[in-house]
Amino acid sequence: MLRLINCQHATLLIEQRQDPVMPQRERASLWLHLHLCPYCKRYSRQSILITEWAWASAAGRVQAGPGLSAAAKERMREQLVAAG
Amino acid sequence: MTPATPVPAEWPARFGDELYRFALSRVSDSEVAEELVQETFLSALASLVTFRADASERTWLFVILRRKIIDHYRRQTRAPHVGLDALHDGGATEADYFNPANGHWTGPQAPASWLRADAALEQQELHEILRLCQERLPPQQGAVFAMRFVEELSAEEICQELGLTASNYWVIVHRAKLQLRRCLEKHGMGKN
Repeated sequence: MLRLINCQHATLLIEQRQDPVMPQRERASLWLHLHLCPYCKRYSRQSILITEWAWASAAGRVQAGPGLSAAAKERMREQLVAAG
Repeated sequence: MTPATPVPAEWPARFGDELYRFALSRVSDSEVAEELVQETFLSALASLVTFRADASERTWLFVILRRKIIDHYRRQTRAPHVGLDALHDGGATEADYFNPANGHWTGPQAPASWLRADAALEQQELHEILRLCQERLPPQQGAVFAMRFVEELSAEEICQELGLTASNYWVIVHRAKLQLRRCLEKHGMGKN
């Protein structure tokens, strides 16, 4: 039985869709809504983009940027020697 | 060559830079990143007996640092300015995005097309805007978003770490996404 759902519900289900335990009935309702609503279809694509960018952005920062200052390294070294 | 036995005093020189960069990719504050590296070294020293010689010292230190970062997210959600009620953290609610009468997108909030998003903004610029928007999320939404999509923890693990129910967790993820996409649009996404 396909239920008509609103955009608020659909955008929540878009997040939950990655969850393997999402009931089949909700999947079907979301599928129907996305067929009828261009805004939510757009949102669904953008939601995936946002998560891809967040991951890529963090990964990119690992590769670049400043290292640990010499003073901090020395301070940590002394700490380790004292605690060791 | 990796020495057979770890020499903790050498860790800062050997691994300090990459551990620090990793920490700084997760927290924007350099002092906090430094503290996380320091805590990582001290924890590693305290649990040196658990280090197995056949493992990589570097991998082992990264495992400890990842744990410290998750602890940091957890502390972030427990900060005094975060209300006890998990879902009232001062951020926007669904009513700010959807028409309360029917639950559909309200006019100006309806998603605009990002068709040329990648072309309109340099990737570097895009990442910076996203980072800025992530930092503007209420603490709990920011922590949940980072744990789920950057650290790639499962929903179940996050609920356990932060003491959330599954339904609260989904509301937080939903709101974080709504707020991030609105923030991205405010900063130029979709304005071709």
